[in-house]
Amino acid sequence: MMDALTFVVAGAFAMATPLMLAALGELVTERSGVLNLSVEGMMAIAAAIAFMTTHDTGSFLLGFAAGGVSGLLLSVVFALLVLVFLANQVVAGLAVGILGLGLSALLARSYEGMTILPMGKITIPILSDLPLVGPILFRQDVMVYLAIGSAITLAWFLFKTKRGLVLRVVGENPQAAHSIGLRPIRVRFIAVLFGGLMAGLGGAYVSIVLTPLWSQGMIAGRGWIAVALVVFACWRPIRLTVGAYLFGVVLLLDLAIQALGLSIPSVILTCMPYALTIVVLTIVSSDASRIRLNAPVSLGENFRPAN
Amino acid sequence: MKIWVRTLLGATALGLLLSGPAASDPFKIGYIIPNAIGEAGWDHELERGRQAIVDHFGDKVQVNAVNGVGEGPDATRVMNRMAADGTNMLILGAFGLMNDGLVLARRYPDLKVLHYGGYVNEPNFATLALRHYEASYLCGMAAGMAAKTGNLGVVAAFPLPEVLSIMNAYVLGAQSVNPDIKPVKVVWLNSWFDPAKEKAAAESLASQGAEVLYSLFPGTPSTVSTAEQLGVYVTVTLSDNTMFAPTKHLCSAQAEFGPALIRKIQDAIDGKFVGDDTFSGVKDGSMGIAGLSPDLSEEQKKQIMARLEEMRNGSFQPFRGPIMSNTGQEIAAEGTNLDDTAIKSMKFLVKGIDTTLPN
Repeated sequence: MMDALTFVVAGAFAMATPLMLAALGELVTERSGVLNLSVEGMMAIAAAIAFMTTHDTGSFLLGFAAGGVSGLLLSVVFALLVLVFLANQVVAGLAVGILGLGLSALLARSYEGMTILPMGKITIPILSDLPLVGPILFRQDVMVYLAIGSAITLAWFLFKTKRGLVLRVVGENPQAAHSIGLRPIRVRFIAVLFGGLMAGLGGAYVSIVLTPLWSQGMIAGRGWIAVALVVFACWRPIRLTVGAYLFGVVLLLDLAIQALGLSIPSVILTCMPYALTIVVLTIVSSDASRIRLNAPVSLGENFRPAN
Repeated sequence: MKIWVRTLLGATALGLLLSGPAASDPFKIGYIIPNAIGEAGWDHELERGRQAIVDHFGDKVQVNAVNGVGEGPDATRVMNRMAADGTNMLILGAFGLMNDGLVLARRYPDLKVLHYGGYVNEPNFATLALRHYEASYLCGMAAGMAAKTGNLGVVAAFPLPEVLSIMNAYVLGAQSVNPDIKPVKVVWLNSWFDPAKEKAAAESLASQGAEVLYSLFPGTPSTVSTAEQLGVYVTVTLSDNTMFAPTKHLCSAQAEFGPALIRKIQDAIDGKFVGDDTFSGVKDGSMGIAGLSPDLSEEQKKQIMARLEEMRNGSFQPFRGPIMSNTGQEIAAEGTNLDDTAIKSMKFLVKGIDTTLPN
């Protein structure tokens, strides 16, 4: 029973990390007023490129770098479409997402079904041997700490710095921001690229750390969960981190309960994370003021300077 | 591709010149492999089946294979195109292609369709299935031998009849060599494809003390490579998976699509094609095992191979009475065997499996 508990609460960090990384990027993008629905595609192409890089070079650092860059490159395509050519954000996001999924399958065709050795975990002597607390806090891989660190950094950036304020202003009212001399297009461009980079890191994590193998379609909807998590968290980084972790816990609980042999039908357990998402979203959105206070007002609307 | 076709046309033309008017066009086969071809698993085995056809028939057949078209509209388009282009036979490697195949079989009476995993027959539409449970019984024996404390864990996709028959045979095999097998733990993924979930399922079973994991119809090598990392033994359906777990691979089923396909194609060429059910296994070489671990003793390997031989000569089948279900019902009495219909529509779990089935 204790083993199962450790498995769930410690393992949930790894399950949550790709969601957290991609969702944090999407959060920043959406805070600038751009809705980027291509997260799934960006994660997929990054997972493919990162796997190929790590498989061929043996370096996880290079794998993450390559994954981050490929997510970023795909987001450049999206940014050009919606910020320069003023394409509809939803349609452009879906199209770029499908492009990413297709490209990932094409590029990594000859790597289908291959595996690599997993990345080691950081183990802090003595502390990591503590019961329960050890495996939870002191026996994770480096990306888990980085993801939590970036959530805290982003929370500070968004709400305590001037640049964070600029980003939020652009997301609230780009016309007003423009009229006081800010540059909404540039801010949004940077936010979209950041979103691409983070989705890329999340995708890379899936294919080289979480499950060190490549298989077409292996992102398996994580990009969409990341998009949902942003709403779920009311566009707040810390809440997003907690949400992602909860999702990881519920997902693993399903498997742990089955492995324990408790007689709860597995189909019910499997739909738990999704049922929980719906319940929480309903609770969150039933309080209209909370959504209104947090959702970027100009989300999904293109900006054209009025001059 | 074009060059290949041209060479083939050239070869046919040459054949015509040499052998006169008796030479005929090659038998044209359209071969649909739904997903990308990996190093192991369903699509990999389909590809090996295609290779077996080419090796056997040579120039007499022309196999036009496509892979990665899925089971949706893309596959429909490709199949329609093939049928319209005068293909003689379609081989459909996915359950989801059944309805499209039926439509085509009815529209083109001269077309022969072979379909994997379905349940419909027409005069020109035949179904193929493999007796995965036979190899599963043998790998179950290996698992029973390797599990010192008797703890087994299974990672499976959905509780379908075929999956249940494979799981049941596995547990019966383990129980046949090890009386101390503990109730077998099962994790249902409720997904055909999610490597991260497979990995977590394997980890959760291992954390509960499972010594041997069974990756039952894996979408990816995730369970197998996780077992290697965790240092627990692993058994797999469909393909030899030794390369994904070099030190911990215990036993793989090895499916051979070739023998049944070659037989049906030969029938079609001879004009004797029947739209029937083919259910083939160890007997005709359609099913075997591969990659037995060197950790098993020679004695144990011999015992497993002896069972394989008994299956081949028909003196043994895994589902022989008495069989009790895990809800306490008697499924087969002493001295009776389950017939193929009962095996194909299996809806129970044998005694000693610790999971419940949704109603």
